Amino acid sequence: MVPIPAAARQGLRSFAPLIVLLALFAGLSLATDGFFDLWNFGRLLSASAIPIVLVMGATFIILTGSVDLSVEGVIAVSGVLVSMLVRNSMTPLDLGLWAVPIGVALGGAIGLLNGVIHVTLRAPSFMTTLGVGFACVGTATAVLGGDTVRISDQTFRAISLQRLFGLPYGVWIAFVTVGVALFIQQRTLVGRWLYAIGGDEEIARQVGVPVVRTRVLAFALAGLFTGLAGVLAAAQIGQGHALLGSGRLFVTITSTVVGGVALSGGVGSVLNAVVGVLIVVTLDDGLVLLGVPPFFQQAVQGLMIIAAVALSLDRSRLAVVK
Amino acid sequence: MSARAASTPAGAAEPAALEIVDATKAFPGVVALDRVSLRVGRGEVVGLIGENGAGKSSLVKVLTGVYTPDSGEIRVAGRKVEFHSPRDAFDHGIGLVFQEQSLMLNMSIAENMFLGRESEFASFGVLNKRRLHAATRRELAKVDLDIAPSTICAKLSFGQRQLVEIAKALSLDGRIDGAITVLLDEPTSVLEEREVKLLFRKVRELRARASFVFISHRLDEVLEISDRVYVMRDGKVTGEVKAGEADVHQLHRLMVGRSLQAEYYREARQAAPGTRVVLRAQGLQRHGAFHDIKFELHESEVLGIAGVVGSGREELARCLAGLESLDGGTVEVEGQALLPGSATAAVRAGIGYIPRERKVEGIIGAQSVAENMTLARLSGFATAGVLRRRREREVARHWIDRLHIKTPGEATPIGSLSGGNQQKVVLAKWRIAGSKVLVLDHPTRGVDVGAKEDVYELIRDMTQEGLSLILLADTLEELIGLSGRILVMRDGRISAEVNSAAGTKPQQVALIEHMV
Amino acid sequence: MSALRAPAPYNWRHMLRRHAALVALVALTLLVGLREPGFLRPETMMVLVSDTTTLFLMAAGATFVIMLGSIDLSIQAVASLASVMIATMFPGWGPWAIPAALLAGAACGLACGWSHTRLRIPSFIATLAVSGVVVSLSFWLSNEASVAITQVHRDAWLGWATGQSLGIRHEVYVGFGALLFLIFVQKATVFGRLIESIGHGELAAIASGIRVTRVKLWVFVLSGLLAALSGIVFSARMASGSPTLANEFLLPSIAAIVVGGTALTGGVGGIWQTYLGALIVSVLRIGMTFVGINVFAQQIVFGTVLIVAVAFTIDRSRIRVVK
Repeated sequence: MVPIPAAARQGLRSFAPLIVLLALFAGLSLATDGFFDLWNFGRLLSASAIPIVLVMGATFIILTGSVDLSVEGVIAVSGVLVSMLVRNSMTPLDLGLWAVPIGVALGGAIGLLNGVIHVTLRAPSFMTTLGVGFACVGTATAVLGGDTVRISDQTFRAISLQRLFGLPYGVWIAFVTVGVALFIQQRTLVGRWLYAIGGDEEIARQVGVPVVRTRVLAFALAGLFTGLAGVLAAAQIGQGHALLGSGRLFVTITSTVVGGVALSGGVGSVLNAVVGVLIVVTLDDGLVLLGVPPFFQQAVQGLMIIAAVALSLDRSRLAVVK
Repeated sequence: MSARAASTPAGAAEPAALEIVDATKAFPGVVALDRVSLRVGRGEVVGLIGENGAGKSSLVKVLTGVYTPDSGEIRVAGRKVEFHSPRDAFDHGIGLVFQEQSLMLNMSIAENMFLGRESEFASFGVLNKRRLHAATRRELAKVDLDIAPSTICAKLSFGQRQLVEIAKALSLDGRIDGAITVLLDEPTSVLEEREVKLLFRKVRELRARASFVFISHRLDEVLEISDRVYVMRDGKVTGEVKAGEADVHQLHRLMVGRSLQAEYYREARQAAPGTRVVLRAQGLQRHGAFHDIKFELHESEVLGIAGVVGSGREELARCLAGLESLDGGTVEVEGQALLPGSATAAVRAGIGYIPRERKVEGIIGAQSVAENMTLARLSGFATAGVLRRRREREVARHWIDRLHIKTPGEATPIGSLSGGNQQKVVLAKWRIAGSKVLVLDHPTRGVDVGAKEDVYELIRDMTQEGLSLILLADTLEELIGLSGRILVMRDGRISAEVNSAAGTKPQQVALIEHMV
Repeated sequence: MSALRAPAPYNWRHMLRRHAALVALVALTLLVGLREPGFLRPETMMVLVSDTTTLFLMAAGATFVIMLGSIDLSIQAVASLASVMIATMFPGWGPWAIPAALLAGAACGLACGWSHTRLRIPSFIATLAVSGVVVSLSFWLSNEASVAITQVHRDAWLGWATGQSLGIRHEVYVGFGALLFLIFVQKATVFGRLIESIGHGELAAIASGIRVTRVKLWVFVLSGLLAALSGIVFSARMASGSPTLANEFLLPSIAAIVVGGTALTGGVGGIWQTYLGALIVSVLRIGMTFVGINVFAQQIVFGTVLIVAVAFTIDRSRIRVVK
């Protein structure tokens, strides 16, 4: 095949997810009664808040060509920690909103651990993050002994529940997070270096890009975002327990891939991931409105990942795939 | 600055832009560079030619910091320098523009231009895009490229990408003190006519800012653009001529080496090929590699294919082995059409492949000699899916004896054998699989001298037993010595067919003519 | 002229891998025995081996996948599906539920293999995605609840997994039988040889004309089949089937494979190593309980063990850039 169309395809590909989203909107508006409704849209955005925060981190990692499977574990530990720091049923602490930065910081610390383990041991990221993730869930379970912490601090819960201009604070926080992530991606050196590492790590190294440092930093950043997601999740549910992040990994990876961030790295943007979240959340919502039982969502998401990767024009599809 | 005439080495009053003096680089078994000296004056365009294995790419690797020379010096603007990494070399003013290109296609021109050097445009880790783009525009102006700096490189044509890479090298101007030398490694193979002319015009215009080294197999182009030309062979510089005074034939002679030793290649055993056509290729083409390839392979024949890097011969070999796909044309083996692009089909049809990268595609290092030998025809060593190990051992032992493979046993991991013996195991594999045609892709690469002769004997044995061989050799000498007939390829086409029967061996020069 | 160079690093690494697991197993067993002498009694040992069967079966299928250099993250979902299938199908289909569940497992493996080989999706994503579909299927079949298997059905059709013969639990026989069969497959069949070859050198296998895609497909099918078998055996013991029955087995399965000595890079290791690894995991688990590390914290240990074992066994010379 002639080599040029890659350039043309690049442009089309970044629009494809958006087209899919619009098509979904159109289709569901026609097919169901409840979809095209302001209140429903509000619900969609609320449901998107935490996933959006999660995919910011996931995007950074996937851009470098790695993957982070520790998401559920990090959410668990940061959520549990936060739930134990605010007024709750288990500990006498009452730190109020100060718990938020602590929870985020814990996420960042675990992210840093992820990065360091991955680059030091030179083991595949999916394996090291899987291990760390499991260890985190285990830690959360161990600390709680299987129990659940009940949060009674209403100010804290307000960050997910209380509304501002009709949307929960959580949604606005998600918007700000996207802004921050976008800034990092577009305007900082680290952001640009992520693309270089994903594009061709060898060349990047030869040219003088600090590859090791950047990769560790990417994991740390992802950890911060995931920590924030854990805080939001705890606030939303009003509880802290080890399964706080259950099921979130799947949605995160599906959204990122479906939105157009290439698994091979170097291609895509946090905005792509946001579109991906909207697609997944809309589809889930649509399925519910169409009367499909909620457990079916996992199947649909699974098929979506397969379709998204199969239809993409990743470089990784050219090499030996393992 | 006024136009500078080509500076003469003798009359150079100021230090050369780039100079390499007595550089030597050796690897186990081969001397890549043998006391090589080369000089690029300010504002000069120096050409570098030589056939495969002459040492051009090793020289480039030494100049760009990928290799460190075992001895010798590199001087930039008269000062001695040492490179420990490609970035080092770049920081000293040596830019490389090469065929595979080193642009990140997923990033913009501006980002590529200053990749790794962004600190000039950043404060506290935040990039100032306006300044970055403005600086990029200034650099692009030097090569007359009027494209938005934010353009993603994947959208540029090959010619444009090349200009960006040149601009990247030139961006060192004013940022370092010293001289800038741009190494252009086979820059024109991927360009169209129009773009080549453009490139040359730019290079001439840019001589005020930088010196150039033009490495290419296209002799006519090298002579057109260069002031002086160096010729390399076997790791040495064999000649240095002024482009204006050069005679193409003289250059050819400088590129090739000593005369053949007929005994070394067992010429006495070279038999005339049979008349039966074993493999027929028609209209073969693969986009970007070769087209219009047509030839016939006869029984017991050794058909050599000559060509420099970029001639398409290596892609052709891999396509015949089914490891890469064809865009058009047909191949028939023993009258049966061959399904292209499938190694399984090729092996079934009787084509075996001795790969260039033996350790990657030829052997499975961790497995035993016997396991490697039977891999291409395991079904012959099994009943109903169950392996018959005793038979496997017996057959392996048989071939170890027959080919004189030096190994403690058939269960020894093949990775611990020497290169030559590994190669023999690979040959045994195809004999066991019953191949009738073998494609040998640089079969003596990584094989020491003594073992090479063994391989030559085996080649004669095989043709005597009725096998037909297609051969790509490391050196012209080896190719001529072993082949009965030679196809010469250049830029994707067959440019000549030369008879190489025993007793009427062609001169290397005769082949070079059609290769460059 | 000596044609033999000094043996390449293969040898000492192989030696270490071959025996490290056995040594570790014996050492761990003795250590736990020191703390709790009752552990070393034959009855306890038998319970240990018997209980390890489920883990071993699940890990065994995935072992071949890892030997190829890929990974299968759907095994726990497939096992749970199998448990749901036999629990819900016994009333209507009788003993046919068992082959149906096995077939379903094979089909899931086929889906994984197909997505991976034909659509060229990296195995961890392909199997993760398929696991999502499989979990949904389980929830649907079971009506989102746990389904009990009655004593009647258990005795009638699962006796081969729950009973005892000659004083030894049937699970032990099942595990051993599978072990012997799979070792046979690995060492004595063309299929097994091809798996090793592809794992050690996929490019060379391709160049030798091997139908790599087909082998990979069958490996995933086998993985799904064994995962289903492990789910059936486990549900026999639990007397119920549920969509999340086998969830806790994913991490220990991968840990068993890696700790046993099979490298993620492919080629090295095998079924016997996984058996040892599964036993090590079991001993580790029991040991931790004796020592007082609560069941929840054990996951931390496993997570760490996993990372360390992977780092130790991976062959870094094979991969230049680790992602």
